[in-house]
This record gives sequence, C-alpha cells and structure tokens, in this order.
Amino acid sequence: MRFAAAAMAVAGKDLRCELRGKELLPALAQFVVLSLVIASFAFDLDSSSGPRLSPGILWLVLVFAGLLAFGRTFAAERDTGSLEAMLLTPAGPSAVFAGKALAATVLLVACEAVLLPAMAVFLASPISPAVVATVLLATVGMASLGCLFAALAAQTRARELLLPVLTLPLWIPFVVVGGRAVQVAMSGGGFGAWSPVGQPYAVLLDFDILFLVVTSLAARFVLDD
Amino acid sequence: MTEAVRISADLERAENRRLTALAGAAVAGMLVAGWAIFVYAPQDALQGPVQRIFYLHVASAVAAFGCFAVVLLGSVAFLWRGSLVGDRLGRAAAHVGLVFTTVTFLMGVVWAKPIWNWDPTRTWDARLTSTAALWVIYAGYLLVRRFAPPGRTAMRLAAVVGVIGFVDVPVVYFSVEWWRTLHPGPVLTASGGPAMPAPMVVAYLVTQLAVGFLCGVLVAVQYRVQARRDAAVARAVAAQLELAPAPEAR
Repeated sequence: MRFAAAAMAVAGKDLRCELRGKELLPALAQFVVLSLVIASFAFDLDSSSGPRLSPGILWLVLVFAGLLAFGRTFAAERDTGSLEAMLLTPAGPSAVFAGKALAATVLLVACEAVLLPAMAVFLASPISPAVVATVLLATVGMASLGCLFAALAAQTRARELLLPVLTLPLWIPFVVVGGRAVQVAMSGGGFGAWSPVGQPYAVLLDFDILFLVVTSLAARFVLDD
Repeated sequence: MTEAVRISADLERAENRRLTALAGAAVAGMLVAGWAIFVYAPQDALQGPVQRIFYLHVASAVAAFGCFAVVLLGSVAFLWRGSLVGDRLGRAAAHVGLVFTTVTFLMGVVWAKPIWNWDPTRTWDARLTSTAALWVIYAGYLLVRRFAPPGRTAMRLAAVVGVIGFVDVPVVYFSVEWWRTLHPGPVLTASGGPAMPAPMVVAYLVTQLAVGFLCGVLVAVQYRVQARRDAAVARAVAAQLELAPAPEAR
C-alpha cells in the first residue's frame, strides 16, 4: 500500500496548504456565485425560466470552475519549483499525480457544495439527491482528466490557454451524459426515471473508471521530466 | 563541395523526384475519382446530384480516421520506445488528418444545406459533435507542440494527447449518439450488403482508393518536411556547439 500512502500524503499536503493559505477556495466560491449573478442577468431569468435553464447553467459554471481549480493545482507547484522535488522522492510520478488529483477533486466538491445551494437560492433550481449524485460522479472523471492536462499544460508556455483547449473536448462525454441526467432529475425524475438508453449513473461510472485508468497510465509520461 | 555532401544532395534530389512522382500519381488518381463520381456513378433518385458529395465526404472521413490512427501508433511508438520516427509520423499525420477532417466537414455542410435545410438547432448531431471534438483534440495536439519546450518534452506531451485523444473520440461519439442523431446510418456496411446499387459502390471504392493514396502521399510529404526541419535544428545546434569553446577549455 505504498502507492496509496504516498498519494494520501500528497493530497494531505495540498489540502493542508489550502486550509492554511485559504487562497483557492474563497476565490472559487466567489467565482461560482458571481457566475450565477452573471447568468441571471445574461439569461434574464425569472421564476419560470430559472429552473428550466438551471441544468445548463450548472454545467457551464462547473466546467469553468473546474478549469480554474485544476489549473492552479500544478501551476502553484511549477511556480515554486516544488514539483521536481516531489518527483525526486521515491513516491513515483503516478502516486504524486493521484494525490494531486485527489486534492483537486476535494476542492471541486467543496466548490460544488457552494454552487448547488446557491443555485437553489438564486435560481430556484430543484436540487435533488439525484442531481447531487450525478454531479459527484461526473466530478471524479472530470478531475482525473483535468489534472492530467493541468500537469501537461503546466510544462508549456501559455498554460492558461492550453488547459481549456485540451480539457474541454475531453469533458464533452461528462457534460453530455451528466447534463442529460441532471435535466431528467430536475424535471422531477428520481434515480429510476431514466428511460431511453439505460442508467446515466452507470454510464458516468463507466467513464470514471475508463478515464481513471487511462490518466493514471498516462501520468507517468506527463510527469516524467 | 565535399564528397559526402554531394552524395547526400544527390539522395535528396532522388527523394524529391520520388515524392513529385507520387504527388503526380495522386493527382491522376483524384481525376479518375472525379470521373467516377460525376460520370460513372448514376444519379440518386431521391437526392439528385447532391448525393454525389457522399463519395468524397465518406472517403475523406475514412482517410482522416486513418491519419489519427497513425497519430496513435506514432505516439505509442514514441512513448514506448522513444522512436523519433514515430513522433515525426504522428506530427505529419495530425496535420494531414486535420485537413481531411475539415474537408469532411465542408462536404457535410454543402450536403446538409439542401437535405437538412441547414438548421443550426438540428445540427448537434452525434457524428457532427464527435467530429468537432476530433478536430479540436488534434488541433490541441499540434498546439501542445507549439507551446511546449522544444525537443523531447514537446514530443512526450504531444504523444500523451495523441493517445488520450484517440480514446476520447469513440466515447464522445457513443455518448452523443445515445440520444439524438440525424446523420444517415451506415450505408456501405449495412446488414445484408451495401444499401446502394453496384455502380455507386464501385464509384465509392475508386474514390476511397484515390483519396487514401492522396492522404498517404500528403503524409509522406509532411514527414519529409518535418524530417528536414529536425535536421536543420540539429545542424544549427551542432554549429553552435562547434563555435562555442569546449567546456574543458574554459
């Protein structure tokens, strides 16, 4: 269990940094609330159009908040030059990557803990357990991909530009399936109300497993300097 | 001019001649395909002349997929064995694949204008979305090369994108397909044989061969361009090293 211990140590380090510095999370929470404000003006929302447009707004805000969160994970290490130091330890690049992805996932989940209640308050979106489950399931796969490309983009010039260009096309499956599932859940369907093609939760889980495997295999090549 | 330089110049000239001949053959092949599309193939009863777009549309889509499969193989070869040939092949095929994806798109738009009446709200179709994702992913593959520190790092990072991008495309395709699609289903590989008359199948096969050959020639030309560029960089580095005093001398 050396791998798990090393990954947990890296994740713990990242979360401790965030708890002590309190940099990313307040900024992300503010970003989320601001995006909702922008959305309410941009779509000219009222009590009837708010709930109808909520699924789309949810995914838009989530995707951009995710890009911000994952972009920071490796950029901060790069700025202080501490990534090389971590890679010199016997932990191995895959464990370092897993740890950082785990910490970023926790941050994004914290961000969602702000986003979903805020949507319920501002947009009167019906947030049900099914919505929360969909968002959490999508977060896992999105975080693994986002972190991999954040690690990759951190090694290039113009990383803020490259991260969305690389990540967004690979997030399409999550937005497609998750978006549909949230639409069904918000229009009154529970966990079982998915008719045409099968359970979206199972599909999201499949994507999660697929991309967790692919990214952990690829992490070695991205971080191996 | 020294003997070695003259020999390599001769070799280069021979290779240029070979590529020129191949390019000429590819042009001839495309002319034959044009004849097959416009003269040999019969008119479609329902869609009229618009249907003739099908031949080039499908052929260039297949060629683009072939290119991206080459990118995948080249990326794997680089990550696994550090093969520079694989990396160069990936670079060349990504460029050509992007061109053929664009051609597929444009052909599709021209076809969709009369058939679907090109309504933008109806165009978020599975094929279209996944092809757009494909285009963006491989454009990202080339962007990574531009923004990464040159040399091994750029090759390594781009190879990772080349592998993961290829994994993502079927995933996007199926995720979108599951709930809306407008694109015609498979015509040639339909169950119970091709759903079109034999002359159309022949015209398609001729076009596919010509486009596939053109695609191969373009990849070969791009490969040579990339190889020349790599050689120029290597020469510049070597010249710098010769000019600079050796580390021991300082």
